[in-house]
Amino acid sequence: MSEALLKVDDLSISYASEEGPVQALRHATLEARAGEAIGIVGESGCGKSTLASALITLLAGNARVTSGSVQFGGRDILSVSEEEKRKLRGRHIAMIFQDPMTSFNPVLTIGEQLVDFQDQREGLSKPEKRQQAALMLKRVGISDPVRCLDRHVHELSGGMRQRAAIAAALLMAPQVLVADEPTTALDVTMEAQIIHLLRELRRDYNGAVVIVTHHLGVVGELCDRVYVMYAGEVVEEGSTDDVYHNPRHPYTQALIACDPANLHEQTPVLPTIPGRLPDLVNPPRGCSFAARCPRVHERCRSEGPDYVEVGPRHRARCHEARS
Amino acid sequence: MSGLYDVDNVSLDLAAPSAGLQRLLPGSAPRMTILSSLSLSIGHGEMLGLVGESGSGKSTLARAMMGLVDITDGKLSFEGRPLKGRADFVKVRQGAALMFQDAVASLSPRRKVAAQLIEPFQINGVPLPDGNRAPAVMLERVGLSSSLGQRYPHELSGGQARRVSVARALALKPKLVIADEPTAGLDVSVQAEILNLMTGLRSDMGLSFLIITHNLAVVRHVTDRVAVLYLGRMAEWGPTREVFARPYHPYTRSLIAAEPQADPRKRRPDLALKGEIPSVLARPSGCEFHTRCPIARPRCAVEEPESNMITPDRMVRCHFAEETRIETQGGNHGT
Repeated sequence: MSEALLKVDDLSISYASEEGPVQALRHATLEARAGEAIGIVGESGCGKSTLASALITLLAGNARVTSGSVQFGGRDILSVSEEEKRKLRGRHIAMIFQDPMTSFNPVLTIGEQLVDFQDQREGLSKPEKRQQAALMLKRVGISDPVRCLDRHVHELSGGMRQRAAIAAALLMAPQVLVADEPTTALDVTMEAQIIHLLRELRRDYNGAVVIVTHHLGVVGELCDRVYVMYAGEVVEEGSTDDVYHNPRHPYTQALIACDPANLHEQTPVLPTIPGRLPDLVNPPRGCSFAARCPRVHERCRSEGPDYVEVGPRHRARCHEARS
Repeated sequence: MSGLYDVDNVSLDLAAPSAGLQRLLPGSAPRMTILSSLSLSIGHGEMLGLVGESGSGKSTLARAMMGLVDITDGKLSFEGRPLKGRADFVKVRQGAALMFQDAVASLSPRRKVAAQLIEPFQINGVPLPDGNRAPAVMLERVGLSSSLGQRYPHELSGGQARRVSVARALALKPKLVIADEPTAGLDVSVQAEILNLMTGLRSDMGLSFLIITHNLAVVRHVTDRVAVLYLGRMAEWGPTREVFARPYHPYTRSLIAAEPQADPRKRRPDLALKGEIPSVLARPSGCEFHTRCPIARPRCAVEEPESNMITPDRMVRCHFAEETRIETQGGNHGT
């Protein structure tokens, strides 16, 4: 295995609010290696989008980093100047957003935007950049790339739009590609096609891929390793196979159990996760899942668990992870 | 046979969007067929799933069933009574309720939840069943605290908004609820709660449900029967368990195979279904699925398949359904 390209170390981020700072991300640690696809999975409010925006240095105006760093290329990219952050984005770290309809400018053609995205590429004329754009569109499976260049985003179907967004992200051959819910806006057949495309592109792409999703199916199909998040914390990490077949955190177990896609027999009542997310303005003193956990002990309510190693590169933040 | 709601040979055409100027010219303006000779019956107390890709006509069918869009041909009937004019549909809307796809957008942002919950009574001139307590009773029925009535829609979570739309759909004690993508955009744990709520209401109140979704896992677990729609035509229908165990139509098989697998050991190396659903403006000849079908033969491009009742409760529209049937029974097919 190669060295980590991107490393998140003990990162905590909070958002200013009327009630006080919302601790959306707490002590998250993560690494993405070259040639590896990692998944960040969790439900609404788990902090996965905050973590994704930190990876591409696009934090909201009211966000504050309260601890830790994001290491890329030997430095903390959250503390460099705005100008340097701008140079990193797109060129070294690129992002595919959930809704390609809103990530493209509606009044410019796809071609004009794909040329603009190569702003930092030197020594290429405009026609050459357009040529590059057409090649990339072809690579993501758009059958008539030259015609696509002259289209506006509303003229493309949902699947085509997402392909164009992937082309835009890969245009500058970034070392890290972050995809935020890349298939959520699509239906099942288009989702399968985009998954297939991302898998194919990985074959000749040496960078790291980070997939942020709430859908375990996307992780299962695409990712080598997975980070499961709950209430702002990474509660379990490991290879996708280990985490799916041998989940050690009760939240991971519950998440897998309540997805009907994982149930083989028809059941009249689906499992749920009773209770609700803790208040992140005043996060619980102990384990953040304690209030909903079926295996909770006295200790869990008073003492936050540390990571427990349960296997090679597999660990869970639970006092009971080994049992 | 007469079910609770019968859709009999229904077709729906609309003027093609480019027809604006052509409409001024002599001759007939181009039309596009959204639904074509569609038949479907929803039984009393039944949960029926309707699946298909975006653009297959699922939501249009739901709107037509509620009289929100006019059909061009065929017959709709509710409780055995044919629905013909506006007045019939106004009446149907008391017996059948539609849950719209986007729960938050279907609520007015400027009115409190309680005020919106009693709207169905006001619109239909029905006295409030529990007087001032009506909104509270309705909220409690769907597992929400009655205090939520004093909130505005933007103060609700996705799951709460979905429950409010269930509560509103149940206001007039309908017999049928048509739920358009009832769990789209919800987290899996919340999705399970909403589905459990719906199956619970069904057994408590004897409700029928038509669940429109592209989420096959949802259909597999909560419905009794499933109907598969492709480009405005029925491809296959039958008991859910049987259709998932032995899908006869190649489209149904492709849909099932396209579902992403959370288990990395079950990854599909190849692609189940290539290409995109064709535009209704360029409807393929013959069987409309032939342009994407993995087993298409020359005959499929020229000849429309007939609805073929393989057993009394299974229909499939494919020239080669019989062959597929033998194949699937003989060995393992699909994943």
